[in-house]
Amino acid sequence: MSTTYYFAIVGATDSPLYEAEFGIHRAENTHLHQFVVHAALDLVEDALFLTNACYLKTVDKYNDWNVSAYVTPSNVRLMLLHEARSEDSIRSFFTDCHEFYIKTLMNPFYEPNSPILSQAFDTKINTLAKKYLL
Amino acid sequence: METDSAATSGWLEPSNNNNELLERVYVKLESVGFRVGKRLAERFAPMSRRLSDTLDIVKFVCKDLWMLLFNRQIDNLKTNHRGVYVLQDNKFKWFLHMSGNNGGAGAARRAQPYIWFPCGIIRGILDGFGISTVVVAETLGLPQCTFQIRVVSDE
Repeated sequence: MSTTYYFAIVGATDSPLYEAEFGIHRAENTHLHQFVVHAALDLVEDALFLTNACYLKTVDKYNDWNVSAYVTPSNVRLMLLHEARSEDSIRSFFTDCHEFYIKTLMNPFYEPNSPILSQAFDTKINTLAKKYLL
Repeated sequence: METDSAATSGWLEPSNNNNELLERVYVKLESVGFRVGKRLAERFAPMSRRLSDTLDIVKFVCKDLWMLLFNRQIDNLKTNHRGVYVLQDNKFKWFLHMSGNNGGAGAARRAQPYIWFPCGIIRGILDGFGISTVVVAETLGLPQCTFQIRVVSDE
């Protein structure tokens, strides 16, 4: 079974900061992944009202895909589009991604809510994906 | 550094030039504090649960954040439950080694620039949690200082 994942970081001002795809993916599906994930942002807001936790589990489903979300204290959303997957590995993936995001934020040259263009960040996220998702 | 020269070279005499200089120093220090505060909010916010209530966030500033920055907590927190919070620190760390030989008022005025940076930090932290505020500070006598947070609503 081919496993594909689409990961996106959406800033507090609702602008996309970072996106990545893991696993086997076809170019024509990328736009659909992007659309589904960003459409789920409203549901993330609804879920935020109901809980104080950071990890929101699955907020939306589309055909076979689930969209899971994790919200940081400063309202930056980490979104993952995935097929059925254990919650624990996704939670660990999100937590580690949050740590790397904090490290990016600590860089005084990085402007909060601007796109994350660092190659090192990209490499680290891909390593995390290999560790927890693939 | 600008602050040093302003503090030591007889700036107690009011004059337009010095006021403008002080204004620029204030803006610079406060905005640097703001940037630092924004990052501190994300870095040190509790990861187990998100803070949603403004009072909880102010308490986080009083307890956790002051402990991180100054190794002690805010002594007194007052609120009118309508968006104004007053934080009182009776032994502000940066004032502990200051003494003014001409008495309280002069020394308190010269110590002003040192509380602009923490004002910015507090404003930055609250902004990191999504709350717009205006933060002012005053000192009635070293080493005490009071920060007043006023929540600004967007309407």
